[in-house]
Amino acid sequence: MSEPGAGPVYATRRFTFSAAHRYWRREWSPEENRRAFGALTTVHGHNYTLEVTIRGAVDERTGMVMDLAELKRVVGEAVIQRFDHADLNDDALFSGVIPTTENLARTIWDLLGPKLGPDRLWRIRLWEDPTFHVEYYGP
Amino acid sequence: MARDEVTLTRSYHLSAGHRLASPALSEAENRAVYGPCFRPHGHNYLVEVTVAGGVDAVTGMAYDLKRLDAAVRQALVDVVDHRDLNADVPALEGVVTTGENLARTFWDWLARALPPGTLRRVAVVETANNVFEYCGEGELR
Repeated sequence: MSEPGAGPVYATRRFTFSAAHRYWRREWSPEENRRAFGALTTVHGHNYTLEVTIRGAVDERTGMVMDLAELKRVVGEAVIQRFDHADLNDDALFSGVIPTTENLARTIWDLLGPKLGPDRLWRIRLWEDPTFHVEYYGP
Repeated sequence: MARDEVTLTRSYHLSAGHRLASPALSEAENRAVYGPCFRPHGHNYLVEVTVAGGVDAVTGMAYDLKRLDAAVRQALVDVVDHRDLNADVPALEGVVTTGENLARTFWDWLARALPPGTLRRVAVVETANNVFEYCGEGELR
């Protein structure tokens, strides 16, 4: 047997949640909103798929970067319970912020970063539907 | 990365049995750390191999996929497909067969089998919800 490489390993876990949102700036007129956002001004929803990637050295005793059951618990409590079957526009995190996929990905980073550690959290990949996703590697 | 360098990713399926149990831990500790993964079970693994090369001006190809397939088959798929990773693969002796360890072990095997410096990433897709990736000295982007 050869000694496996000592570099970091990336582990990704996938989650799903469904949420409603609309694109609307309160300080704009309805016409301005419709011009900028079109059909997105009406309340609608998506089945989101969230991929959380962590990076770290492998614990040589367990062979793991992190207990993925623990990752599931952290993401479940901080993100899934908060956003699943919720109207994102009602969440205080999106007061004055349009819940675009981009903003939602950054918000999820901000929720998970302190819990997972900014060194360990590597990437948030958020799929709004199977045709569109964004990636965020942190500030 | 050179301007004309292109990366290619090819996927390989393999099915294998395994269980997670570390010789450094007691049975009770193994049960606590690995939960259901302590029991013998198996996966339909998908291994993604990403390689890089300059585009050949004549063939338009950055990598000969036939050669890649043959090398990956010999160095990896034929070694682990339809095997018990904990019992039937001498090269994995002493390795706790987590996705993390498989990703970096497969990297080692493939780095030796492929043209030097061309391997960029090995991803072990254990289930649709769990992916483990190793990029050697490179960064995952």
